[in-house]
Amino acid sequence: MDLPVQQFRTEAEQAYLDLFEAAENALPGARDPFVAGLRANAIGTYGRLGLPHRRIEAWKYTDLRTRLTGVNPLGKGEGVAVSEAALSQALGAEIASLPAYRLVVVEGDLRAELSDFAGLKSAGVEAVSLARALEKPPAWLKETLAQVNPRKDDAVLALNAALMTGGVALRIGDGVILDKPIHLIQLDGEGEPASIFTRNVVIAEPGSSATVLESFGSLGLRALQRNAVTELRIGAEAAVKHFKVQRDRDDAFHLSTWLVELGPDARYDAFQFSTGAGLARNQVYLRFAGEGAAAEISGAFLLRARQHCDTTLLVEHRVPRCISRELFKGVLDGEARGVFQGKIVVSPGAQKTDGKQMAGALLLSETAEFDSKPELEIFADDVVCGHGATSGQIDENLLFYLEARGIPKEAACALLIQAFVGEALERVEDEALRDALGRASAAWLGMASG
Amino acid sequence: MLEIKNLHVNVEGREILNGLDLTLPQGEVHAIMGPNGSGKSTLAYVLAGKEEYEVTAGSVTWKGEDLLAMEPSDRAAAGVFLAFQYPMEIPGVATMTFLRTAVNAVRKARGEAELSTPDFLRFVREKAQALNIELEMLKRPLNVGFSGGEKKRNEILQMALLEPALCVLDETDSGLDIDAVRVVAAGVNALRSPERAMLVITHYQRLLNYIVPDRVHVLSEGRVARSGGPELALELEESGYAEFGGEAA
Repeated sequence: MDLPVQQFRTEAEQAYLDLFEAAENALPGARDPFVAGLRANAIGTYGRLGLPHRRIEAWKYTDLRTRLTGVNPLGKGEGVAVSEAALSQALGAEIASLPAYRLVVVEGDLRAELSDFAGLKSAGVEAVSLARALEKPPAWLKETLAQVNPRKDDAVLALNAALMTGGVALRIGDGVILDKPIHLIQLDGEGEPASIFTRNVVIAEPGSSATVLESFGSLGLRALQRNAVTELRIGAEAAVKHFKVQRDRDDAFHLSTWLVELGPDARYDAFQFSTGAGLARNQVYLRFAGEGAAAEISGAFLLRARQHCDTTLLVEHRVPRCISRELFKGVLDGEARGVFQGKIVVSPGAQKTDGKQMAGALLLSETAEFDSKPELEIFADDVVCGHGATSGQIDENLLFYLEARGIPKEAACALLIQAFVGEALERVEDEALRDALGRASAAWLGMASG
Repeated sequence: MLEIKNLHVNVEGREILNGLDLTLPQGEVHAIMGPNGSGKSTLAYVLAGKEEYEVTAGSVTWKGEDLLAMEPSDRAAAGVFLAFQYPMEIPGVATMTFLRTAVNAVRKARGEAELSTPDFLRFVREKAQALNIELEMLKRPLNVGFSGGEKKRNEILQMALLEPALCVLDETDSGLDIDAVRVVAAGVNALRSPERAMLVITHYQRLLNYIVPDRVHVLSEGRVARSGGPELALELEESGYAEFGGEAA
């Protein structure tokens, strides 16, 4: 006799199902069949998959099922006061003060009074609160939401689709060339622990050019569990620069997924800067849907104490003549753990693919660890693909050279670490942002042990 | 003035310097020659303070102070400069940034005021010109992509900027062609002064045609085997290092 197999669920796994059941009717778009259907499908997918654990290859180094022992109640962003000073504190002054079109989201609640809708509109960008748009989704949103490079095997993504409470939906018009970045500031609130599920949808119409900066910071909320998704569809010959600065509190979970699709001759330059969170998982799923496109995904992670930061990329070359580049640099102190997983899939027929990947980590302590796993699945025969990884301590010879020139040991270490991170920072073409990140790195160095 | 007495140095378990004695008075230029393995570079590294070089006996006094007790960066502040035989490449650190950091670090340690950026630029331009170094080159990361000659000229530029009291030149001529040797030698000679002492370590006599030393010491098996005037170098060119345990120079 065959016994029906009961899927064993951890407390946290069940808690998410309960959370959905309790919140379902109050979530944005509950009364819209498209949105409600999307959410129902998503929670079903999650229920089938459960939380990812170490026996799933893509989660080998980050066993979320074990690490997530409890689920916080859904956060409500309304009513949390945000001042300029608070913003500066949460993001770091150098990031908060960057000239940009600001959009401020507090736990999914888009703050109109802090956001520059008028500026964006006159620049040719349609920006709406996702929460509001979900109540009555316009056609363009229905065609895009959860359909940009969709994945059916990702439970974290499914949870976000089921529980998303808000974010921003942006449409950058045909041929629009923006003069300043769009700064999407995503904050938590204050007080008791919360779960925040936010999603952004960005459409860059053909020929457009824009920079989107996403920054994450804390207003003081304890033990935040953040699940943030950004879907980005880049039209033909459009160019998007996409940056992320993550400075969540050290007791936070930061789960971030970017879903990117590139049209023919499109250009995508992405950079992720991570120094916060106790456990961070940065996922980027990128698909080349049109020939002749190019993408560069880079980042820097600076970790100490017991932080864990996992960057997992999946780049799919489905069409010929596309170029992809990945460069990640990490500095790990204390007992920190850095992970870089880069998977490149080249479909049959994706000839003249050019894909390169490089990850490097500087270990400042005996107990820090860096895991790097490249995966290349190549099914075409006229391609150029390469990968490399390095991991090591500060070069003693270089250190001696600097000291012999009168630079004291601590300053010499800092100089070398900055030089190491600098190679990744060079990928950031926006000078103001690059300088800001340089200063943020220097500030981090001031706090790390020597 | 530099006084080295009975210096014994161990590197990875091997005794490289075996009781080296040397006195270098202020204002003088002494050449150190010798076959491979005689301890020339070891001497240079020990003076600069490199970690793996363990002093097992003896002393080094610089201007009356115990040099061996000082950290490398403190020695630089005290006026010691080592021109490396193989200068390091540091990608990600612009040469100009490095120069300014080093110069100001040493000035600060000496209680002098740090140079402002425009003053520093002027200072660098002046010294760089004399060494045929273009300012464009200094915008590049330190020594990255520099030819051997460019790296050595960069070392002498640093020497000119840091204005050290003791210059130790570790085989500065190695890997250089005649023209490059001339330029480097001119740069070194321009820094000769009664307030400065120099140790020129070289395998070949040729460099000493341009940087004429006051005294020549020949190292063999970790100690000074023979000392003499500049003519000793010419003698060595004739006879080679055979009698000092080495192959022909």
